[in-house]
Amino acid sequence: MASVSAQIKRGSAELAVLTLLSERPLHGYEIAKQIEVQTGGVLRFDMASLYPMLYRFERKAWVKAEWQILPNGRRRRCYRLTSLGRKQLAPLRAQWRAFFTALQNVTGFQNA
Amino acid sequence: MPDWKQIVRKNLCVLKACSPEFADKIAEELASHLEDSYEEHLRSGLPEEGALQRILNEIELCRWNWLALRLLKEERMTGFTRKVGLPGLLAFASAMAMEWVLAIAHMHPKTIFLSNGLFLSLPITWMCLLPICGALGAIVSRRNGGSLLDRMIAAAFPAEIASAVLFVVFIVGWVISQFVADSGWNWAFVLPALGLWQTGSALLPAIPLLLGGAAADAANRALARAA
Repeated sequence: MASVSAQIKRGSAELAVLTLLSERPLHGYEIAKQIEVQTGGVLRFDMASLYPMLYRFERKAWVKAEWQILPNGRRRRCYRLTSLGRKQLAPLRAQWRAFFTALQNVTGFQNA
Repeated sequence: MPDWKQIVRKNLCVLKACSPEFADKIAEELASHLEDSYEEHLRSGLPEEGALQRILNEIELCRWNWLALRLLKEERMTGFTRKVGLPGLLAFASAMAMEWVLAIAHMHPKTIFLSNGLFLSLPITWMCLLPICGALGAIVSRRNGGSLLDRMIAAAFPAEIASAVLFVVFIVGWVISQFVADSGWNWAFVLPALGLWQTGSALLPAIPLLLGGAAADAANRALARAA
């Protein structure tokens, strides 16, 4: 599958992560894995792109992180979307929908 | 199985400059990510050695420098007011109070006259007291969870403000002379004057402030070790 440019990936990353977190709380590795699986490997997050974004969301209070203790004693940070994050997601979705519709109109692609 | 946390800390040297709480959080979370990835490879049927090799490859390919820059930016922006702003203002207020008391006591800065009408104003007594202000800034920043960089920025805050004010005065003066008064500046005089002004008001005071901050920091560490 053709790879998408870095700029589009960056722009869509926020939408992808916030959408996943709107479904249920997830930890960092799960977020990266789910995005990779659900996009068939087109969008792939490494640690360098995922965690700074999650910390930025946390600073803006879009997500709240909590430590979870696993049965083996290891700790993991689980991210949950806050009401403020949910409010950010709605216009972000609308913007991307408008963008894809516009692109579809220009290119004639059915799935832009 | 390798010590993932140690691997993260080794690749992210920048964590040493962050607050201990932030550094611990990052090291534990990224280590947990690596361990999750390792376990996933094992579940997919790879032998231990193969899984380990995959993770080591991922670690080698990871953009650690990019990650370090982004993390440092996030750390700076998280609680900046609490870790730097307020402690810095406290150091600044105490430095100004000391200067005011010295002025009342008629202990004025020593002025060294140079050639061409240039002079350097040296507030020696004030500079002798500045380590106390620097220490105050560093201590409060540390109490608020500030990293080493935060503590030093807070300690030297009075000098940073002085330097910024001098630059603003310089730029405003230049704009007025160019566009309002319509009279050009004699750069051969203005630039050395600005340099001397910055030296006496910002650069030299920054030294005792940082020394005070560093001494308070060392004392704090020694006390923490003893406890």
